[in-house]
Amino acid sequence: MKKFLAIALVAVLAMTAVFANGSSESSSEIKIGFIGPLTGDYANYGTLCRQAVEMAIDECNAKGGINGSTVKLVAEDSEGDPNKALAAMEKLANTDKVCAVVGPVLTGEAFSVGPVACELGVLAVTPSASHKDVTNQGDYIFRTTPSDGLQGEVAGKYWAQVLGYKKIATLYAKNDYSQGLAEGMKESFEAEGGKIVAEETFMVGDKDFKTQLTKLKNTDAEAIYIPDYTAEMAQILEQASQLGVNKPFLSGDGFLSEEIYQLAGEYTDGVVYTASAQLEETSLVKEFRDAYTAKWGIGPDSFATNSYDATNILLSVIAKVGTDRKAIRDGFAAVKDYEGVNGTINFAENGDLVAYQGIYEVEGNTPKYVGAFKIENGKVVKVN
Amino acid sequence: MGSASLLFQHLMNGLTLGGIYALIALGYTMVYGILKFINFAHGDILMVGAYIGLFTFDALRGSTPIGIWWLVSFFIAMVVSMMGCAVLGMAIEKIAYKPLRKGSRLAPLLSAIGVSFILSNGAAWMFGTHSRKFNYPFDNSPISIGGVVITPHQIMVLVVAIVMMVALKIFVDKTKMGKAMRATSLDSETAKLMGVNADMIISLTFGIGSALAACGGMLIALDYKVYATMGTMVGLKAFVAAVVGGIGNITGAMLGGFLLGLLETFGVAILGIPQGFKDAIAFAVLILILLLKPEGLLGKAEKEKV
Amino acid sequence: MFNFFILILIYTCIYAFMSLGQNLITGYTGMLSLCAAGFFAIGSYATAILTKLGWSFWATLPVAAILSAIMGIIIGLPTLRLKGDYLAIATLGFAEIVRNVINNWDSLTNGPMGIQKIPQIMVFGMNVSPYKKYGFLLLEVVMLLICWFLLERLASSRMGRALEAIREDEIAANSMGINVTKYKVVSFALGAAVTGIAGCLQAEYTLSVSPGSFVFMVSIMVLCTVVLGGMGNFVAVILGAFIIQFISYFPQLVGLSNIIPAQAKQIIFGLILVIMMIYRPQGILGRKERNNKKAEKAWLEKKEAKA
Repeated sequence: MKKFLAIALVAVLAMTAVFANGSSESSSEIKIGFIGPLTGDYANYGTLCRQAVEMAIDECNAKGGINGSTVKLVAEDSEGDPNKALAAMEKLANTDKVCAVVGPVLTGEAFSVGPVACELGVLAVTPSASHKDVTNQGDYIFRTTPSDGLQGEVAGKYWAQVLGYKKIATLYAKNDYSQGLAEGMKESFEAEGGKIVAEETFMVGDKDFKTQLTKLKNTDAEAIYIPDYTAEMAQILEQASQLGVNKPFLSGDGFLSEEIYQLAGEYTDGVVYTASAQLEETSLVKEFRDAYTAKWGIGPDSFATNSYDATNILLSVIAKVGTDRKAIRDGFAAVKDYEGVNGTINFAENGDLVAYQGIYEVEGNTPKYVGAFKIENGKVVKVN
Repeated sequence: MGSASLLFQHLMNGLTLGGIYALIALGYTMVYGILKFINFAHGDILMVGAYIGLFTFDALRGSTPIGIWWLVSFFIAMVVSMMGCAVLGMAIEKIAYKPLRKGSRLAPLLSAIGVSFILSNGAAWMFGTHSRKFNYPFDNSPISIGGVVITPHQIMVLVVAIVMMVALKIFVDKTKMGKAMRATSLDSETAKLMGVNADMIISLTFGIGSALAACGGMLIALDYKVYATMGTMVGLKAFVAAVVGGIGNITGAMLGGFLLGLLETFGVAILGIPQGFKDAIAFAVLILILLLKPEGLLGKAEKEKV
Repeated sequence: MFNFFILILIYTCIYAFMSLGQNLITGYTGMLSLCAAGFFAIGSYATAILTKLGWSFWATLPVAAILSAIMGIIIGLPTLRLKGDYLAIATLGFAEIVRNVINNWDSLTNGPMGIQKIPQIMVFGMNVSPYKKYGFLLLEVVMLLICWFLLERLASSRMGRALEAIREDEIAANSMGINVTKYKVVSFALGAAVTGIAGCLQAEYTLSVSPGSFVFMVSIMVLCTVVLGGMGNFVAVILGAFIIQFISYFPQLVGLSNIIPAQAKQIIFGLILVIMMIYRPQGILGRKERNNKKAEKAWLEKKEAKA
């Protein structure tokens, strides 16, 4: 037994020594960190983000890097667990000495990472943690996805004012993202005199929505709002059609994923959803989509697009101000009118994305961009 | 929709969900019956089965239009997937469980958890983290019978589940192999003395259990897509079903599966409790059942030897 | 890198608390419980909610411990009729119910949004911030040592022997006059309380709690820790906690995590579990055998004197 322990100990120490030497850094390298779930139930979302970050960095290096230095991505898996995300942040900041981080991907992770990022003074730009309080944790956390607060507000007003709905039912997952959107929408929709006639929930990972859909089918709701993740939405739409639920569906930016059109097929027809606004089919959007699809074999969704923009902005800031963490943070806050794949990007005082909301309508199996909207004096107005 | 037809709708949904749980629970219960340990990797074998089935089906149907060939391909794929998983299950048993047969009862459980990690992450590594669509091999437009909407898929699930269960029941009760299996499960030492090749029987049990998991995996994949962690939650629920039915008991596993499916759909639908509490309700009822019948619904109370 | 090693130690301490609790229930009394995540959640939320209401961390500790213990009794009392895997399922069910309730009881727990900005621990007017790792680790180690000491005392007491007797043979224990029900419930309650304390520390380290941290996998990992270390041996399970945490963070510790695919880490973890169980099914240190030689000697001497 003692022999066994001794051998194990020696082996571990030897490996530690070997790899610790291997990870010594060269000075001409600029390191950027990434935190997101690469394994576990949310692996798909983390992977989409990571690929976009990697792509942006590869493109940058192909153009000669930043001022002659190559940019290196250090990606850490959070497994969707706030504790692991926190550990990843510590590792990136203290061991790798990255100059900034793209991530974390999930809201729960952002809440455990946020305080540490601020404490250590490392900029964290989340591409997807959309809970309204994420950016209120301190100066060092920014995001390139609109706050759920805004998305829900525009959604509720748009359903009421433009689509003219009076009664809506919601079907959302009991998780931060879904419930955040549903609550934001509810508040804004009810302020317009609308009524949420039924609220049904499910757990992420559920596969059978027939019970909830059967219930919703029998309400007098004019439409059903499903601000959920791709996998669940695909099943909801498919099962709704099987059960003969003849109500239109409304959704959020989970619908931006190309995956949904593969998974749910023709059932996506007629869905109206809110997502990041975009300049109408700029060459940038098309280029990105084509390049991403060619490189990774799967189309980008909002997770990927937001990560791509976040990384590119970060790289441009580093090119301007160098690798000092504080300078990067200030440079990031000062970004003005950055032309990204998601359109013109600006940040609010607290680190939120200043955004218009895009409205999309799905025709058959392809989303049609209706336009960008903002709220002015309590009314949704289309932005030109 | 009247309340009666609503009731039938829930009943139908619950039965199909339960059918799948039951099918997977059978594998759990068989393995437990013989080795007295929880094969935690069962849900991941199900996932591998779904992937094998998906690839075989897609390769066979190629670009042919939907038709009878799709259905044929689907069943060929199902056979291939069941055979593949049977081999996989037997291999896992040989490598990860067999050396542990003599030790503590928790050691194989941990080993099984390890296998589960390896399988689910291996699949994510090889096939990617995105979910894949498994096309229905037939037109899955719903059929409405008196206000109750049933899909052909639901019918298929029920038919396949029941056929598999009856076949298994006949195999275990009537054949010589089945007899050997029951003997090994009852007392493997004595069975060995009677000339039963216990190692072979255990291996066979794993094979059959895994094949059933693969079958269940393909059936859920049609509705729920294929991805690396698809088996975890279903596997856990099926395990619960197996225990409630009386672990080691085949009829019990079926009963437990259907019961759990019905509980999940009915529990909240009837009580009017938010759907989020679905699992809580299902578990609460299951605990209650266990308290009333500590050996599960059909399990036999073991006499304690002093 | 050293900094990260300290982080591993901090997580180790949290897991060690949980494993100590699990060890009392499973290692000593022989009840297969899968409820660690549930007790852990109760502890975390007790600290999170109460400190947000202005309570001191130290005042939330006993509340968390008592709440978890009550939960342990609620689970322990009715499920005592169950054995082995039936007990495992019932306890797993309870853990899932706890998580489910937390996720849905929005007015108390803030539902899936979780609770953020939890106030930090104060010791003698000093802030034990999770950012000053040494201080936090020191606090954890002190608490862990106290807990370990008390549990060791308990294990070598009359009660510890009673628990072991129950594990080895319930009927025999009963016929020896041991109140099986009482001891089982007490074991469950104490184990739950210790696990709940792990939750308090967890909440104070991440300064946020959300239902996503208390999934079924946590219970499984705690069980792994206990089996891997050595059941019924408190030192072994603390070592087990270290080893499990070390293995899971090893790639990050040495900078491998960015080089190998994310899944590879998990696969290696799985392989280690399988290989460990094949070669050391009794755990790294194995069960601590009671030192009976003294008693035996005394008995023999007495016998000889009589003769």
